[in-house]
Amino acid sequence: MSSPLRHLFRFQESGLLLVILALGVLLTVFSGTVRTPVFEIGPDGARQRVFTTNDAGERVPAFVEKNKFLNAQNLAQLAKDTSFIAIMAVGMLFVIITGGIDLSVGSIYALASVVGALTFQHFGPAGAAAGTAPAVAVLLGALACVGTAALCGLANGGLLVALGVHPFIITMGAMEILRGIAFVVTNGQSIGGFPPLFRELVRKETSAGLSLVPLAVMLVVLVVGWIFLSRLAAGRRVYAVGGNELASRFSGIRVERVKLGVYLMSGLSAGIAALIALGYYGSASSGDGQGYELSVIAAAVVGGASLTGGRGTALGAVLGALIIQMISSGIVILGIDQNYSRVIIGAVIIIAVVLDKFNSWLAKRRLTAKAG
Amino acid sequence: MKRLLLPVLSLVLALSGHAAERTLIIGLVAKSQGNPVFQAARVGAQDAAKELSAKHRLNIQIDWRTPNEEDAQKQAQAIEQLVLAGAEGISVSCSDANKLTDAINRAVDNGVPVATFDSDAPASKRFVTYGVDDIECGKQTMEELAKVMHGKGVVAVLAGNQNAPNLQKRVQGVREVAAKFPGITIRDVYYHKETPQDAAAKVEQVMQANPDITGWAMIGGWPLFTENALKWAPGTVQCVAVDALPAQLAYIRSGHVPVLLAQQCYEWGHRTVELLIAKIIERKNPPAVKEISALIPVTKDNVDAFGKNWDKWLPK
Repeated sequence: MSSPLRHLFRFQESGLLLVILALGVLLTVFSGTVRTPVFEIGPDGARQRVFTTNDAGERVPAFVEKNKFLNAQNLAQLAKDTSFIAIMAVGMLFVIITGGIDLSVGSIYALASVVGALTFQHFGPAGAAAGTAPAVAVLLGALACVGTAALCGLANGGLLVALGVHPFIITMGAMEILRGIAFVVTNGQSIGGFPPLFRELVRKETSAGLSLVPLAVMLVVLVVGWIFLSRLAAGRRVYAVGGNELASRFSGIRVERVKLGVYLMSGLSAGIAALIALGYYGSASSGDGQGYELSVIAAAVVGGASLTGGRGTALGAVLGALIIQMISSGIVILGIDQNYSRVIIGAVIIIAVVLDKFNSWLAKRRLTAKAG
Repeated sequence: MKRLLLPVLSLVLALSGHAAERTLIIGLVAKSQGNPVFQAARVGAQDAAKELSAKHRLNIQIDWRTPNEEDAQKQAQAIEQLVLAGAEGISVSCSDANKLTDAINRAVDNGVPVATFDSDAPASKRFVTYGVDDIECGKQTMEELAKVMHGKGVVAVLAGNQNAPNLQKRVQGVREVAAKFPGITIRDVYYHKETPQDAAAKVEQVMQANPDITGWAMIGGWPLFTENALKWAPGTVQCVAVDALPAQLAYIRSGHVPVLLAQQCYEWGHRTVELLIAKIIERKNPPAVKEISALIPVTKDNVDAFGKNWDKWLPK
């Protein structure tokens, strides 16, 4: 095998990339084509339909035929749909590497959403502080949203360190408490009416009508997570705690501080995802993010994180989220009966973990062979 | 030879005609997979697709994209995905109107007409909404209950998901009518996860804590999808519930529930597909943006006749 190829296959996430490539090829080949209307930017800056003249001389709307999967709109949509879970998966990965679990991320997402939404609404067109400078309003709303989530993460970490209780119990309790608070705060109402600047910032589109802000935020979170875990001493401490907590303690690592930090990261990532979703969808309610904890954990695990701790990468978590979303979108694109979607996604999660185990076993065998 | 040629030619023409049939996809996005009322809507949509395919010489297909549990964000994503996958019309029941408004507007801006059913997004560019008037639904539920309670007693309201705007309107309707009866007090509005088991457990808990309750206004029929949800002797506590699914009809027959108010859930799918096809193929708009469907009272007198509808409405 040539050297670049060999290098590619040694790369930790090469298996995930191959799966993504294979899925992409399958979806491109089997998805067929779709006729979509053609748009252009009009003289007033607004997006408008393009018209053409048919054989009979009539003015008719223009259409273009595209591959259902491999087109810019669909790929941007795929990236956007992946981003919310992927951002949270990077945060969750920190927790999983230490051997912990955070079942409250869906509820943190909901509470951060509603607190952020109430703040944005306060500064929105019909809010009590409607006249506030738009930039200040956006900044305060974003701070309220992300700050709430960070506080929730910190509380989780603080409680489990102080009480010495298993994270499963603490975060399961937090899951109920935080969703309950979200309901009390909103009284079950959906909260909308945000400052237009905030929505324009998140929904900003390219000239081709692509909304790329969620993708950009996901990439920033990925890069920050990757640098932290692979380039900083603090990141190595996270792996050390997950690899062997007792040994880490004896080697002078402040395990409690590391644990506090990873739950803070998990909360923070839920807050960032909530903020982007708020801007994109324009409202929040206490029912948001139900069941997201399982999607987020699944993304991290499919991405190669080990639930026993000590293993996982930020890129893996994002790719894991992408694989799950590709399958979910693929089911729509291929017109597969939705009744089978859970079966397919569940099977893929198990297959991915089994393949990952097999890959680790092969790597271990290679190392043993080399050594002896 | 001529005798052979004619049928062969007809067959070729028929086949080529069949092959030329255009496929038209209508997306159907309900609130949750597990709720039988939405399964009835799905059957209704599929039946309408079959009928209209024959009428317009089209191959109309229903693409069902409904979240497993209620999740407005997933509904918005489903609408966006349907547009990209080439759906020519979409029918949706909104879990959160605010969250779906942008997705609906984008679909419409991309030339895909959207109809809503059951739960509307009034600020969106949907061209029609079909379903009950929710405030009237709450009012009718309480009026029927007040009638069987002879205008006095303690009432509990069972209200499902606290985030659903249509259910909140029904609660409002219940309260408005209850206020007209000085002998009736509302103990509280009880929310719960919208599964039959959770709803039945909620009724049990509330009755244990409040044995003086003499009437239940159920603005959705959730607990009655299970057997033995109402653990009292028929007639001791009155109950009026919205919907009249097959499992609920047993409570009418047992005498636990004097009146069920059936929503036309089969029509949610059937009618909205009719309206969408009229819009897409015939370029016809409905006479009004709001098309109200009436609630059908089901009592001991008509329970058997009504029950026969479910043979047609449920998925085979």
